[in-house]
Parts: sequence; C-alpha cells; structure tokens
Amino acid sequence: MTDAPASSAIREAVSQRLAKRHRAEKRFRAYGVGAIALAVIFLAILLGSIGFQSLGAFTMNTLTLPVTINERQADPRGDGTEESLRRGNYNAIIQDGLRAQFPSVDDRAELRDLFGLYNGVNSASLMRKVVANPSLVGGTTDFTLPLSDDVDLYLKGITVSERFAGRQGALDVVVSDQTVRLESAEPAFADFLTVMRDELIRRADEAAANASRLESAAGAAATRDEREALLSQSRRQAALSVSLRERAEAQGDVVLGTDTPALFLQAEGGVIQVRSVSRDGRIAVGETLLPLQAEGPITAWTEWAVETPSNARRISDRRMVYARALEDRDMVRSGFNTILFTNADSRAPELAGVLGAMIGSILTMLVTMVLAVPIGVGTAIYLEEFAPKNRLTNFIEVNINNLAAVPSIVFGLLGLAIFINLFGLPRSAPLVGGMVLALMTLPTVIISSRAALRAVPPSIREAALGVGASRTQAVFHHVLPLAMPGILTGSIIGLAQALGETAPLLMIGMVAFIADPPTLGLSGFLEPSTVMPVQIYLWSGAAERAFEMRTAAAIITLLSLMIMFNAAAIYLRRRFERRW
Amino acid sequence: MQLSLFTALALLVLTAAGFLLGRRRALAAGQGRAAGLHSLPDYYGYYVAMWTGAPALVLLALYGLFGGMLVNTLALAELERSAEPLGARYESVLEIDPAHAGLRAERDQAEAGRLAAREYADAMFTQHGAESPQMAEAMTDVDGWIAEGERVEAELETRESQLLSQILGAAPDSPQGLAARAGLEYAQLPIERRQLFISDIRALAFGEGMASRDTAELRAAAAVFQPYETTIKWTVCLLAFSIAVIGLARAWRRVAPGFRARNRVEGAISFLLMLSSAIAILTTLGIVMSLLFEAIRFFAAIDWRVHEFLFGTQWSPQIAIRADQIGQSGAFGAVPLFVGTGLITLIAMAVAVPVGLFAAIYLSEYASPGVRAWAKPVLEILAGIPTVVYGFFALLTVGPFLRDFAMLLGYEDAVTQSALSAGLVMGVMIIPFVSSLSDDVINAVPQTLRDGAYAMGATKSEAVRQVVLPAALPGIVGAVLLAVSRAVGETMIVVMAAGQAANLTANPLESVTTITVQIVTLLTGDQEFNSAKTLSAFALGLVLFVMTLMLNIVALRVVQKYREKYD
Amino acid sequence: MADDTNTSANGRTVYHANRHAHPVKVAAAGVDVSYGDKQALHGVTLDIPDRAVTAFIGPSGCGKSTFLRCINRMNDTIETARVSGSITIDGEEVNDRGVDPVILRARVGMVFQKPNPFPKSIYDNVAYGPRIHGLSNSRDELDSIVENSLKKAGLWAEVSDRLHTPGTALSGGQQQRLVIARAIAVNPEVILMDEPCSALDPIATAKIEELIDELRENYCLIIVTHSMAQAARVSQMTAFFHLGHLVEYGPTEEIFTNPTDRRTQDYITGRFG
Repeated sequence: MTDAPASSAIREAVSQRLAKRHRAEKRFRAYGVGAIALAVIFLAILLGSIGFQSLGAFTMNTLTLPVTINERQADPRGDGTEESLRRGNYNAIIQDGLRAQFPSVDDRAELRDLFGLYNGVNSASLMRKVVANPSLVGGTTDFTLPLSDDVDLYLKGITVSERFAGRQGALDVVVSDQTVRLESAEPAFADFLTVMRDELIRRADEAAANASRLESAAGAAATRDEREALLSQSRRQAALSVSLRERAEAQGDVVLGTDTPALFLQAEGGVIQVRSVSRDGRIAVGETLLPLQAEGPITAWTEWAVETPSNARRISDRRMVYARALEDRDMVRSGFNTILFTNADSRAPELAGVLGAMIGSILTMLVTMVLAVPIGVGTAIYLEEFAPKNRLTNFIEVNINNLAAVPSIVFGLLGLAIFINLFGLPRSAPLVGGMVLALMTLPTVIISSRAALRAVPPSIREAALGVGASRTQAVFHHVLPLAMPGILTGSIIGLAQALGETAPLLMIGMVAFIADPPTLGLSGFLEPSTVMPVQIYLWSGAAERAFEMRTAAAIITLLSLMIMFNAAAIYLRRRFERRW
Repeated sequence: MQLSLFTALALLVLTAAGFLLGRRRALAAGQGRAAGLHSLPDYYGYYVAMWTGAPALVLLALYGLFGGMLVNTLALAELERSAEPLGARYESVLEIDPAHAGLRAERDQAEAGRLAAREYADAMFTQHGAESPQMAEAMTDVDGWIAEGERVEAELETRESQLLSQILGAAPDSPQGLAARAGLEYAQLPIERRQLFISDIRALAFGEGMASRDTAELRAAAAVFQPYETTIKWTVCLLAFSIAVIGLARAWRRVAPGFRARNRVEGAISFLLMLSSAIAILTTLGIVMSLLFEAIRFFAAIDWRVHEFLFGTQWSPQIAIRADQIGQSGAFGAVPLFVGTGLITLIAMAVAVPVGLFAAIYLSEYASPGVRAWAKPVLEILAGIPTVVYGFFALLTVGPFLRDFAMLLGYEDAVTQSALSAGLVMGVMIIPFVSSLSDDVINAVPQTLRDGAYAMGATKSEAVRQVVLPAALPGIVGAVLLAVSRAVGETMIVVMAAGQAANLTANPLESVTTITVQIVTLLTGDQEFNSAKTLSAFALGLVLFVMTLMLNIVALRVVQKYREKYD
Repeated sequence: MADDTNTSANGRTVYHANRHAHPVKVAAAGVDVSYGDKQALHGVTLDIPDRAVTAFIGPSGCGKSTFLRCINRMNDTIETARVSGSITIDGEEVNDRGVDPVILRARVGMVFQKPNPFPKSIYDNVAYGPRIHGLSNSRDELDSIVENSLKKAGLWAEVSDRLHTPGTALSGGQQQRLVIARAIAVNPEVILMDEPCSALDPIATAKIEELIDELRENYCLIIVTHSMAQAARVSQMTAFFHLGHLVEYGPTEEIFTNPTDRRTQDYITGRFG
C-alpha cells in the first residue's frame, strides 16, 4: 500500500471542493450577521420611532393671560370665605380675560373658537390660585394655562403645514358691509394661485392613480360583487380626479373652501381671510377676522398660506388666527412639559400626565418587592440548602419551573378569582396588583437566587460546618451574604419585569380612568389606581393625536425607569461580583 | 383599623420585651457566662420573642384576611332575620296579587309551549335534518315561545319590583324598620349585585372607600354592621394580647442552661422557609382551582356542551346565549380564537426561530468578544422592553406600514390591526428568548465534539451544522417549545395590534383574535360575575393554561434530559 | 550521524534506536505559543520522522498538548492563542496565511483524550470526513472507505452488524477506536493523538496500543502521553517537555536508558511528575 499517490489524490479532491465549501461558510456566517443586524435594526427603529413620536409631548405651549378677578364672579357670596371663593365662576373670568384680548370678537361661533383655545378644567387651577391667595380678588393677575391640544400641536407645527411670506407693494383695501376687497396693480396673489393649483393637481393625480389601482384590483377580484364594488369605487375616484383637474384649470375666480388651502393676510395688526381670488391674481375678496388698525391702502403685509385644508385639520381657521395673534403678542410660551409629570390622567390630552400612574407603579412595586423577595429568597434557601432530595422537593422544583413559564394573564385570572372574588379585596388596588405581580415574579426570584446560592462553593459551607456552626448558621452567616449580589441582581431584574407588566393588571381592574393620583402612603394601597404600562395601554387607545405623543412620552419615561433598575442591577453585579 | 394597628404595635413591643427577658434569664441561669448554656444567649431571646409574637400576629393576620367576611356573614344574617316578617308579607302579597298570579300562569304556559315546540323541532331534526324547511319552521316556533317567555319574565319582574316597593314603603321609618327594609332588599338582590350592596354598607359603616349611594336603609344596615365589627375586633385584639402574654410566660419559664434554644429557633426558621416554598405550590393550586371552578360554572351555564365550546366555529360572547341553541354553531365556539392564536404564533415563530437561532449561533461560534459585548446587551434590551411598548409599536408603526404596503401591492382590504403585524412584532419580542435559550443549549455542547469536527477538517459552518446543531437539537426543540408557549400566552401585543374580530381565517392580513385577547375583552369593563360571558374567560384561561403547561412540561423535560446527557 | 542516511524532502534525516533512518515528516523550528499573556511554549525545535511513533512526555501543563495542537492548527479555534515560529509538513509551512486549515486538517488527523464520537451512527461518524471533503463519488465507494477504515482501526469485526446504531452507544475503548477510524477515513499523512488512552481501562488501552503499532507502518504518528510505560511500549522517538521547553528529544530507548538531561532523568525515575 503506497500512501503518497492516494494522499495527493485526496488533496486534489479536497481542494476542488474547497471554494464551494468556503462560499457556504461565508453564506452561513452572513446569516448570523444578518440575524444580529436584524435585531439591532429593529431595536433602533422601535426606539427611534417611539422617541421621535414622543418629542412633541415633552414641550408644551402655555398661555399667560392677564385676568381680572372681579368680586362678582370670584366671590359670589361676597364674604371672602373659602367656601364662597370655591363657588366662583372662574371659567367666566378666564373667558373675559380672553375677550379682552380680542374686543372685536362677539359672534357666538367666533366666541366658541376663541374659548376653545383652552380647556375649561383649567378654571379649577385658577380657583386654587385664588383660594390660596384671596387678596387677588378685585385685582388683575397673570394666569398661565396650557393651550388645548389642537392649538398646541398646531403651534408646534405638527398638524398643519403653512407658509408665511412678507410682501411689499400697494394694496387697496375696500371695506364693505361684510366683505373686504383687496386690489393691487400687480398680480400680488399669483404665488398663492400657483400653490393652490399645484395642490389641486396633486390631488387629482392621486385620485387618478387610485382609480387605476382599483380598476386593476377589480380585474383580479374573485367574486362578481367584489368586482362591482371595486369598479364603482374606481369610477368615483376617476370622477373626482376629473373634477379636481377642472377646478385647477378653470377660468374665472378661484374660490377657497374647506377642501382647499386657506389664505390669510396679516397687516396693520389685523387679519383678513381671503375667500376668493381673481384668476389674474390682482383682486382678492375676503372677510376681516381681526380688524386692521389703520384704514386705507397698505404697503406691506404678510401672506399666510395654510396648505392643509380646513376639513383635514382639527383646528378651525379662526382658532388658528387667535392663536397666532396671542403668539405675536408674546403671550404664548413654549417650555418643558411639566404637566406630564405633575398631573394624573385627564380626558383632555394637554392636562394628562403620568403622575398618578407613577405613584400607582411605586405602590404596586413596593407590595411586589415586600412579598416576592423574602418569599422567593426563602424558597431558594430552603430548596438549595435544607430540602431533602425527595419527590416532594422534586415536585416543587418542577412546579416552580412551570410557573415561570405560565402566561402572565393567567396570574391575572388567579388574582381576580382568589384575591378579589374570594377574599373580597378591592378591585383596582395597588395591594392586589402587587400581590398578583409578586406571584408572577416569584419564580424569577427563586430561580436566580438558587443560581446565586449554587455558585457559592461548597468549601465555604464545609468550612463553617467544620468550626461547629449549625447548618442554619452556615447558611445565614456565610453562604447568604456571599450570594447576596446575585440574589439582588435577580430580584431587581424580576421587579423590572413586573414594572413593565400589563396584562394581569387589566384582569384585576387597574385599567380604570383615574383622575386623582392615589395617596403616596398606607391608604394608597387600597385606593383605585393604575400603573405606568396600563396608562400607556389606555392612552394608546385614545383617538387624539396628542395622546399618541403622550403615549410615546410615557413609554420613554417607563423605559428610563427600567433602565435605571437594570443599571442598578448591573452596578451591583459589577461592584460585588466575586469569582472563585 | 386604629385598634388593630395599636394591638400590632403593642405586640411588637411585647415581642421585643420577650427577647430581652429571655436573654436576661438565660444569662442569669448561666451565671453571666454564655459558655454554660447550650445556645448563645441571643437564641434564648429569639425563642421567647418567637413564642410571644408569632401566634398573636398570626391571629391578627387571620383576622385581617377573614374578619371582614365574618362580620358580613353575621350582620347580614341579622339583617335577613329582621327582614323575615316583611319577607313573609311580601311572599303573601305575591301569592294573592291577581296580576302576579296571571303572569305566573302565562309563564307556565310559555314554558309548556316551548317544551312542546322543542320536542317537535327535535322530531323534525331527526326526520328531515338540520337544514330542512320543516326544521327552520319548527325553530321559528321555538324562538317565538322563548321570546314570549322572556316577555312574561320581564313583566313578572316589573310587577314584583312594584309590589316590593309597596311593601318597603309600608314599613315604618324606625331604625328597625329601615334595617328590615335593607334586609329584604338584600335578600331580593340577584347574587352578582350583592357584593356592591355589601361594599356600600361597609363604606358607610367604616369609611372603606366611597359608597355608590347613600340611603337611610343603607345607613340603618350600617348601624347593624358596626356593633359586630366592634365586638369582633375587641375580642380578637384582647385574645391576641393574652396569647402573647401567655406565650411569653411559658417560653420564659422554659429558659434553662440545658434548653436547646438554638435548635428550636432554627427549626422555626426552616419551617418558615418551607412555608415560603409552599407558596409556589399554593400558587399553582390556586391557578388550577380558580380556573377549574369558574370554568365548570361556565360549562354548567352552557349546559355542558363542552364540545361546542371546543369545536364550535362561531364566537360572539356578547350575544346572550339562548337556552335553545342547537347545532355546532354556538356563540361560544372557540375555534376562531384557537386558529387566530395559532396563526399569530406561527408568524411569530417564523420570525423568531430562524433569527434567534442564527443570532445564537453567530454569538456563540463566530462573534469576537467585542461583537458579543454589544450584541448581547442589544438582545437583552429587546427582551426587557415591556410588551405594551411592542403593542404600541405594532399598532402605530408596523400595522399602518403593512397596511399601506399591502395596498400598494393591490390588496384592497388591508387593515391596520392584522395577524401579520401582531405576529411580526411578537416574533421580534421572542427573538432574544429563543437566542438566549439556544445560546445556553449550544454552549452546553462539549468542546470536544467541535474539536473532533475541526480535526477532521470541517469548516466552522460544517462543524456547526453537522455536529453542534444535531447534538443540540433536543435542547433547541425545547427552547422553541418554550417560545411557542410564550407566544400563545402573550397578551398585550395581540390585544393592541391583532384586533377583536373573531374571524376564522388563515389570511395573515386580516384581523384575528386570540384566546388572550378575548380574556382581556371579556374581563375588562363591566363584569356580571354570573353571566356565561364573563365566566367563559375562565374557560379560555383554562385552555390557555393547559396548553402552555403541556408545552412547558414537554419542553422542560426535553431540555433537562439534554442537559443530563452532557453534564 | 553521517552514514546510513536517507535524505528527506528537506534534506534532513532522523534516526531511531533501530538505526533505521526515516525521512522527516514534520519539522518544527522555534515554535512559541502564548495564550493571552501566558507563554506556553518556548522555541520548540524538533524533527519528527515519518512512519514511526513519536511520543511527547512530560508533566501536566508542560506544553506537549499545546505543541501537538500547533501541528494541525487546532489552536486557531482558541481566540487568545498566538503561535509563531515555523512548522512544516513535507517541507510545506503550516502556519502560512495561504494554508487553509481545512486542507491541513484533512492531511493531519487527530484523536483526543476523551473519545468524542459525533452523536450520529457509527457509519456516519466514519463517513463524516469523506463526505465533507467529497472523497467518494458513490455510495459503494463510501461503504468501502468506511469498511476499510473500521478494519484498519480493528473495529470492523465488532460493529459490522450494527453500523447504523449511534456511535455514542459503544464502550469507551470502542469509541476511541471509532474516532481513530474516523480520522483515518480521510487517509491522513500524520495522526496526532492527545493522550488517547487516558480515559480507557487497561484492556482497551492494550488494544489501542496494538492499533498504534500497526498504524505505524503507514502513518506518521505523534502521541502525547502521561504514561511513560506507554511511551516506552509504542514509540520509537520520545520528546520530553518541561515548563514549555523541549528538554530532550531522541530515540525512545536512549531517552529511557540514558537521558542526558537531569530533569529528564528525574521525571523518568519518578522524582516529579
């Protein structure tokens, strides 16, 4: 048997396949890199999108309004007692303050737009301010209140797209009964007409695209009914496209309506809303929203084009004008949104905060901690150090491992059936929530504590027993202190998990709308409350855009809390880590 | 509350005193030296303190748990007793009231009619089948009788409440009369509304929470409750205090140099430790019992048609169940939920298993320590994000994106809440779960096997695919099973992103609903604890628990066997 | 050293006790290995003959296994390992960047301390190498490779009737012979054995030693062993390592009867170990 030729033949064969094998190797490795990359990208998108959504909620626009606290409204009984002050009509005081800013506003519809700048609930905080300081009655004071969510989002530039352009030239202003006629020698409104035309054509194109898409979908439809429905939708879109195009190309005056961009003219401290523009762009007809301070022709003005049609935004034309006017008078401030952290839940997005949920979370976590950590550590010590190795112990172990994998919602059902229905504990209470979460967290604490205890080398126990310590003394004097960092880390991780848990708490009714934060004390444990993740769930179901942003902000807050928890765990692990 | 708080404080003081006394007696017995004693002096202190505090505190804790219940039972019994004459009068009025008698006759008639019609329908069913016109006609007849029965029942109730309020109005406004009125009102309340009645009384009597209403009757009832509360509270507190004193005295007398105090104390400690490990068993027991108990009530409410629940294809629990539903399509057919759960789980697994597995392989076999140092925390962060955040993300970002994408591809009926978006996001949530479990499993494969493969000239991927993965397969299967159980039980993502519609579909772009979603839907909002609708949540919970339990047991068994193999 | 030489590829020759010269198969020069900060081998230089058994002996942690793992570059799989110096097989540098460890390991088989059959059938274990390297074109060819390898490893008679039962179900000695069969299935030129008998009972050990002696006719065998008796029984050349240094290298007979270094003598006479 000669090996040399066989050997070289083998080397030949190996080399031939080698390139292919190395390609397979690269491919396989790429799958691994891809998997990691996917996870990283997903995390980035998740955090990025939520972070981006939350940005708008961390600032808020407040209005500082001089209000006159007259006696008639603030002190209806006229005796200056607290009881009388509490019965005052503070909303009327705020409304009067706003009317003072806009003396020209008197129509009912106009007033509705004006008073919609804030939520009536704010009158309670003015009441508290006056009750706290009765000397304000009879005088004028500055009252700061958050603007309502629509106005706030508008001023943040989130919901409405608009453009301001300063213009120079000569513009004749002819005021007749209801309308204002603006005339210029130059085509002063030509720019806006282009904007308008572009917008109409854009929408016509969109409708045409929809129509053709629907038509092709109809071709592929499975049933006749479906096809008919799709075809009729397609026809409607096509008709819409045609009519929009006609409007864009039409001769004659261009009429601005609720489905077109809007145009305002700011000049001489007043605002005129343009209703129609002549095709040549020289003449515009509109109405005065805020009166101009001077008469006769004007030479400089600001063209304020709002591209979002009024039927596509929640804020009305007039309310926008009032908000901008207040902003121009320097009465609106944008600042850090403290309300988010000082208020409990509210139906009005601008007044809703996470304080109540935070206190609820703290109380719930306290209960969870007090129950889960001692019981969990006790169980771990028993199983690891004392329990005889018999079938019962084995059963407990299997049991704990299984409990760790029981869906959290099942713990909620347990809490509902046992704690609430059987023991008669109150619904929605942090005590019950904490108990349920403690049962849920228990397996985590037990498993990590056992691992920590097991990591303590047997030599330590033997040493302690060797000098005559009892088993209990060996465990409590030597093993437990050494295992403490691991136990703490595991417990903190378990508590962090519980902090983010939602489903079981829904079962026990911690999902109610709760406008008053629970007491941060002994009685708070039995008061109805909610917790951070449930607050997030509740807000995420609300329709308002502002709530969507607040949800994101609440998530960021919750994640920060959890990061703090985990950082503490990591710190403990690093600080006390011991290697044998 | 104040009294029991005061007692608890007093007990603590007494316990501390017990410690000091026991210690002093031990030292005195040992002539001031610890060497003559069996145990350290402190242990004698602990021993006395233990016998002082523990039994009394247990008594107080029991009172805290069951005291309220005891007071309720006793006070309500008294209320009902005082209402007996009124109740008797009410019964007799019911008996002689002509309108009521007429309605009762009508009810009997309707019931008889229903039974006859039902019998006829059954005959038609056997003769002509479920789809026959005869059958349909017969069922219309049955429905007619049921509607008639319901109408009469409603009228009866109206008449009864009229008569009841007459009787109540006739009772005197004296405290006894008011209490009797409250007792009668309570006796006539349906069971599910009694709890509220009791908590209203307690609110008025002891200021526990807010009463939903405040009437003279309730106040009178509260006045009945108060003495019971006071008596029981004082009894318990005095009893606790005397137990503590007796315990202290007895334990103190036993302190002697030869007394094995340490062993006693340590025995107590290990008893406590054992007790805490019993909590785990109690929890499981509690879960099983509560789910079973309520599920049995549910099945009783739907006349034990368990197969209809398990195999029916129509789920609409909001519609009150009719007494005479036949065929396979009950309103509590859970198949759409099972299918929805399965569909979403499938999608989630399709994401999580390959990505998680490859991530684990990459991290354990390929990645440099530098890459591991940041990739592992990234996965841990993914694992630590609360599910409600994933739900929000699925609802607001992934759902709309998928809908627009599907529409772009020409699928017109795309919706925001779809099985696909929930499944995808859930898959991502489970990636770290799969990867960390697989990582453990892969690391448990002995290095010698890898060395063997490398020494044969295998490339890394060949070693992984042909040697490491086959060796790790049982463990990986276990990990995947655990991940499936996790996906089946996941709640918030599906609640927020999958929708509520009980569609029986395999189309991932449609809304589906899952077991967990339905449990949440059924149990949030108003609960009537006796309706089949609410109880069905527990039946679903039981199904969920059994499903996940079986998955877990199999998975844990597989993983354990696997570990034993390489340990 | 002048007479009776047989010039090998790199022009060097190694003698052993029988005075039969064998061409050099593996040649190492100035090999240093370190794991992280810890240097495990210091400038090892030696020539290993073909068709003979070379034994590495020395106390635990002396670097003999480390050196063995350099020959088929198994140290590549340890992240912190750094290897420098030169090792050649038939004059080809092993540590060259251009050398693919996959090809190298197809030429250099290895058997480990603990038998490590893959959790597959006996057949699949032996067929693993030929399969990944594509050495057979047909099922029959593969069958014959498996049969030959098992025969060479002296296992055929014991397992021929149960080739498709798991390899892990065999006894320890059988497993180790299975692993040897697996190694020779790709017809390597060099076979490395890292304490191949340390986990086996004396009877199984005797069988493996017999096998090693037979394999000597066709392969260059390098064996790390703790047992000096085993080194004396099976090897023709012996190298003694101590604290990462190659202390002495020569024909086995000479090392055991007439060591030149004091440390070798102490080790062999059992003064330390």
